[in-house]
Amino acid sequence: MNIDKILVSVLQRGFKSITDEMSISLTKTTRSPILCEAKDFVTGLYDAEGQMLEQTENLPILSFSLGPVCKEIIKQYQNDIFPGDVIIHNDVFTMGNQNNDVAVFKPIFVNNTLVGWSAAKGHQADIGGAVQGGYNPNATEVWQEALRIPAVKIYEKGIIRKDVWNLIFANIRLQMVQEDIKAQIGACTLGERRLHSLVSKHGLDVFHSHKQDLFDSTEKIMRSEIKNIPKGTYTGKSMVYYDGKYKGSKFPIHVKITIRETDIIFDFSKSSIQTKGFVNGTYSSTCSAITLTFLQMVNPSIPHNEGMLKPLKYIVPEGTILNASYPAATTFGNHLCPQIADAICKALGKAIPDKITAGWNHLLCSLFTGIHPDSGKKYVDICFLGMKGGSGAKMGNDGYDHIGMIDASGGVLDQDYEMFEHQTPHLLLQHEYLCDSAGTGQWRGGLGTETKILMGGSDTTMVVFGDGDVEPPYGLFGGRKSILNKIELQFKNGKKFVPLSKDIVQNIPNSTVYYQIAGGGGGYGNPKKREKAKVYEDVRNEVVSNKMARKYYGYAKT
Amino acid sequence: MSYSIGIDIGGTFTDIMCVSYEGTAIIHKILSTPQDSSIGFINGLKEIAELSGKPFNNFIAEIDTIVHGTTVATNALLTSKGVKTALITTKGFRDALEMRRGIREEQYNNNFKNVAPLVPRYLRFTVNERIDSKGKILKKLNEKELDLIIEKINSEKVESVAICFMSSYKNPIHEKKVALYLRKKLKNVLFFPSCEILPSIRFYERISTTVVSAYLGPIVGNYLDNLLQKLKSIRYDGKLLIMQSNGGVVIPKQVKKNPAVTVLSGPAAGPTAGAFYASLLNYKNCIAVDMGGTSFDASLVTNNQCITNNEGSINRYRIALPSLDIITIGAGGGSIGWVNEGGLLQMGPQSAGALPGPACYNQGGEKPTCTDADLILGYLNPEFFAGGKIKLNVKKAINAINTKLVPGLSLSALEIAAGMYKVINSNMAQGVRQVSVERGYDPREFLFIVAGGAGPIHASEICTELEIPMFLVPNVSSVFCAAGMLLGDLKHDFVRSYFSTFANLNRKKFLNLFTSMETEGIKILMEEGIDKNNISNFPVLDIRYTGQYHEVSLEVKWEDVINYELEKISDDFHKEHNRLFGYSLKDEKTGLEIINVRLRMICRNKKPEFLSESKMSVDPADAIKGFRNVYIPEIKEMKKIPVYDGDKNIFNCLIKGPCVIEKITTSIFVSQNYDCQVDNFGSFIVYDRAKYPEGYRGVCRDTVLRVSV
Repeated sequence: MNIDKILVSVLQRGFKSITDEMSISLTKTTRSPILCEAKDFVTGLYDAEGQMLEQTENLPILSFSLGPVCKEIIKQYQNDIFPGDVIIHNDVFTMGNQNNDVAVFKPIFVNNTLVGWSAAKGHQADIGGAVQGGYNPNATEVWQEALRIPAVKIYEKGIIRKDVWNLIFANIRLQMVQEDIKAQIGACTLGERRLHSLVSKHGLDVFHSHKQDLFDSTEKIMRSEIKNIPKGTYTGKSMVYYDGKYKGSKFPIHVKITIRETDIIFDFSKSSIQTKGFVNGTYSSTCSAITLTFLQMVNPSIPHNEGMLKPLKYIVPEGTILNASYPAATTFGNHLCPQIADAICKALGKAIPDKITAGWNHLLCSLFTGIHPDSGKKYVDICFLGMKGGSGAKMGNDGYDHIGMIDASGGVLDQDYEMFEHQTPHLLLQHEYLCDSAGTGQWRGGLGTETKILMGGSDTTMVVFGDGDVEPPYGLFGGRKSILNKIELQFKNGKKFVPLSKDIVQNIPNSTVYYQIAGGGGGYGNPKKREKAKVYEDVRNEVVSNKMARKYYGYAKT
Repeated sequence: MSYSIGIDIGGTFTDIMCVSYEGTAIIHKILSTPQDSSIGFINGLKEIAELSGKPFNNFIAEIDTIVHGTTVATNALLTSKGVKTALITTKGFRDALEMRRGIREEQYNNNFKNVAPLVPRYLRFTVNERIDSKGKILKKLNEKELDLIIEKINSEKVESVAICFMSSYKNPIHEKKVALYLRKKLKNVLFFPSCEILPSIRFYERISTTVVSAYLGPIVGNYLDNLLQKLKSIRYDGKLLIMQSNGGVVIPKQVKKNPAVTVLSGPAAGPTAGAFYASLLNYKNCIAVDMGGTSFDASLVTNNQCITNNEGSINRYRIALPSLDIITIGAGGGSIGWVNEGGLLQMGPQSAGALPGPACYNQGGEKPTCTDADLILGYLNPEFFAGGKIKLNVKKAINAINTKLVPGLSLSALEIAAGMYKVINSNMAQGVRQVSVERGYDPREFLFIVAGGAGPIHASEICTELEIPMFLVPNVSSVFCAAGMLLGDLKHDFVRSYFSTFANLNRKKFLNLFTSMETEGIKILMEEGIDKNNISNFPVLDIRYTGQYHEVSLEVKWEDVINYELEKISDDFHKEHNRLFGYSLKDEKTGLEIINVRLRMICRNKKPEFLSESKMSVDPADAIKGFRNVYIPEIKEMKKIPVYDGDKNIFNCLIKGPCVIEKITTSIFVSQNYDCQVDNFGSFIVYDRAKYPEGYRGVCRDTVLRVSV
C-alpha cells in the first residue's frame, strides 16, 4: 500500500490529542489529590498487539509499563476479548510497575476487529495491604503491601461484573478509589470513542500501514539520535540507602551502557541483589526509569510510540534490586528512579557531557493519613509540595528550581495551598525556596525548598519513604554537590524527632510542626566561571548567601 | 445621523469599522503605530472621517460610541515590558508566584527554563500575618511592619504593588488594611489587593492573576489616560468602551481597577462577531476561527453565548479571570515548513512574520511558508495579493521548497506544496478540535465561521477533516474583530467563595452572596450610564461531587437561584458531568458541594444594524475575472477553474465549485465538492454539495438565486 506521509503526521497528532483529552478528563473527575492535583497518572493508546501509539505521561515512571501489561493481557485472553470489556490490573509480577499504580484497559473494535486499546493508570490512594496508602516500610512480601490484581475483567461486554468489582473493593479501604477507577474507565471510554472514529474514517488497512510507517519513522529518529553518541562501553554507579529493615544498609546500582551503531544496551546485571524490605524495583519500573532518563538526553520532540522504544535494550536480571523476584515487596521500586538516573548520567558523562545533568534531588516524601475534624472522615494526602527539590544543572543551563523527582520531571504539581488547608486539617506555615540549597557551579543546581506544616486533626499517621538523607546530589566537572534531604517532627514540648528514610510514625499529636527540607540539585562546571551577573542576581534574590557567594563564586559584595 | 465605531488595534494593522444607525458601513485598515497606539487611533478616525465625506469636527460630533480592542496589555505581557512591580504576601509564602506549583511543561527537555516571574524575588516582601481557611485571624497584622517595605518600594522605584495574603478570599481584612495604609503613604504607586481582583479560593491562581494586573496596571492606565486626553482634544464627547477578555465591554475606569481583564482584548471580539453572524443564519452555535499571519484563533459559541472559562494563561502566566475560551495555535500564512529527523513534513509553529516574510514576498525570506504553498497551488493570485499592492514571486516560492524541503522528502515541489497545505490544515483542524471535541462538543453541529486574510483558502479542507458540512465567510471577514466590537455588551463578572456541601448550604448566606454581587454590579453599571431595567443576571455555580477536587462551572437560571431550587440545580449538574466526562453519579446518590458562586451581569447595548447595501446584484457570469490552474485536493492535481471578483456586487447568487473568489482583503477557495452562495449581506456560505443536494437553504430561502454556469 502507498504511504501517504502527510496522513502519517495527521494520525500521529490525532493519537496525541486523544491521549491528551483522556488526561484532561481524568484531572477533572478524580477525587484523590494524588491524581487530580498532583497528576500522578498516565493515559495511553495501544494497537491490537499492545504496541504504543501514543501516551500522555504526566508521571513518566508509570508510563512505560502500560504497553508491556497490554501485551500480557493480549497473551492471557487471546480471543476472549469483546467490545465493552474493561480489564483492571496492578500486578507487579506480570509487568505492573507498582502495586498502587492501577491500570484500566479497554479494547477498541472496528467492524468486529480488535484495532487497539485505550488505557489509564493512576496511583490510587489505597490498594489494601497492611498500611493505608500502600507504602509499608515493614513489608517483606507483596501481600503485606497490597491486594494483587492480575489482569481481570471488571466489565464484560459492557456489563459490570459486580462480583469481581465487590471482591476487589472489599479489600480497599477508601470509597474514593472506586470513584477514581470509574473516572479511569470514563477516560478509556473517551479514548475508545475517538480511536474508533479515527480508524473507521481511514479504514483498517490504511490505519495499519500508516501506523507502521509512524513506528518506522520514529524508530529512525531514535536510531539517528543514538548514532550521535560516540560508540563504546560506559559504566556508572550509584547507591541506594536503607531498605526499611536494616539501618545503615546500602545497595549499589551498576550500569554498563553499550552504544552500538544504532542501538543502545543498558545492562544493570552487576547491581546489588534484591533487598529483604520493600526497596526493590520491578522490571517495569526499572525499564521506565531507564527510558525516561534517556529521553532527556535526546531530542525532546520525538513522538512517543513503539518505534521510539525499539532501539533501547534493557538487561535487568531477576533477583536484583532492580527486578526483585516473586513474592518480594516492591512498593518503593518507582523511587529507585533517581539512583538509576544517576548511574546512567555518570556513565554517559564521558560520552555526551553536554547532554547529561548533575545529580537531581532524590525523593524524600511523607504520606499523611488521619481523621479530618470537619467531616469526621479519613483523608490520605501525599505531601507533594514538601518533597520537591531541584534538578541537576547541565551545560548551558541552571537546574530547574523545585521541580521534584526525576521520575516526574515537573509533571507532578504541588497542592494548591488553600486547597490543601481545606482537604486536610493541617495549617501550612511555610513553603519557600531554601537559600544555599543548590549545588554551586558555572551552572548552579535547581533550588530546593523548606516546608513547615502545623499538624491538625486526629489519628495522624505519617509514612515516610525516600532517600537523599545520606548522600547529597553530586556535582559535575567542577560543579559542587548540593545538600541533604531532611524531615523532622518538632513537638509542642520542644522535643524533635527525625524519622528514618523509610518509616511509619503513628499518633502524631496535634500542633506538632512537620519540617522538611527538599535539597537542591548538583552544580555543573567550575563556579568561578559563573557569569557575575547571575551570581549577583542570586545574591540579591537571597537564594545564594553572601558567604556562599564569596566562598565558591569569588564574589564580593560591592 | 450618528455613528458607532469599532477600533481593533493589533501589532501590524489597526482595523476600523464605522457603522451608522441607518446601517451603512465603512471598513478601513491602516498601519498601527506601536510606539503609541493612540496616534494610530486618532489617525484612523481622521481617515474614516475623510471616507465619510464629512468635515472632521462634524464627523466626531456625530460619533455616539467608540468600542476599542487593544493589544497594549497583551504585548506588554508577551514582551515583558510591564512596570517594575512588587508583591506583598503572607510570611512563609514568598515564592508561590515563581514556583508555579513546581510545573515544568516540557518534562523531557532539560534546557526548558522556568518562566521569569513578573516580580523578582528581591521585590517580593512578606508580612507576618495569617488568617486560616475558616477566616479566623491567627496572627494579627501589624502595620508598622510595612514601613520597611515602603522604604524599599521607594528606593527601588517600584511603580505598582500586588497584595495577596493567604485565605483573603475568606477574610480580606488584612489585605484591605495594607492597601489603605500604603495608598495613604505612597501616592504615586498603584496598589492591587487580590480581594479586588479575584476573591476566590486557590492561592496560586489568585496571586498570579493579581500580579499580572499590577504589572500591567500603569501601562494600561497611562495608555487609556493618554487616549482619553487625545479624544478630549478633538472634542469627542461620546462614550469610549474597552473590550475585555470575557467578550464584554466596560468603561476605562473599570479597566484601570483590574487591567488583567484586557489581556485578550484584541481577539475577544471574534466570538461576539461569530455569535452575531450565526444568528443571521438562525444558528445558535458556531465556531469562529481567524487565521492571520502567524496565529490561528479558534473559539466556540453555544446558545448565542461565547464560552468563557477561568483556565487561561498567557506566556505561561496564569490569569484565572473569566475569559473567552480562545485557542491560539501557531498556524498562519507565515508558518514555515520543515522536515523532522524522521522525514515527516511539519508546519510551524515558527513563522516568517512580516519580515522577512514568506519567500514569495521577495523580501529576502528563504524559508518556504504556507503562503508560498498557497501561491504555488494557485489559491493566491500573484498579481492581486492585497489588491495588487504586494506582488508575489512564484519562482521564489518554488525555489524555497526546492532547497529546503525537496532533499528531505524526495517529492516534487508541487506535491510538497500540497502536503504543506494539508499539514497546516490538519494543525488548524486540531485547534478547532481543542475548542470543540475536547470540551465535549461535536463541531459538526456548529456553524463554522472563517475570518482573517488567510482563513477562507484553507477552510474547506478543515471542514472536510472534521466533517463540518458548511462554512461562512462574513462580508467583514478582514476586520472581523472590529465588527465584533460594535456588538459587545457591557459585561461584569463577580465571584465569591462559598465552600459548602449542598446538604449544609445556608439559604440566607447563599442568597446574600448573590445579592451583594448584584448590588456591586448595579453600582458599576449605573456609573456606566445604564438603566437598571436593562440589566440581566447570569449566575454560575462552581459545583463538584463531594470528594472531587475540580469543579464544573454550571450555568443556572436566576429564578432558580432566587427560589433556591437546589434539586433542579443538582439534576442539571449530573447531566453536565455526564456530557463532559462520560458518566454521572446520580444513581449512586453522591452528594454535591459548592465552591464558588459567580454572577455575570450583562447590559445589552444598542446594536447598529449591518444592513445590506441593497445594490443590484450582477450576474455571477459577469464577475468572472478569468481562469487559472488551481490545486484540487479531492483529485490531487491542478485544474483550470474560474476566478470570480468577490468585490463585485454579487448578492443572492449561487456560485458552483470548484472556483476561487478573490477579494482585495481575502480569497476564498471553493473546492470541487463544494458550492458557494452569496447572501444579501454579501457574506459567502460555502457548503458540501453532497450534504445539501437541494442547495443550502438558509438565508436565501425565499430568493431566486442567480446561478453561475
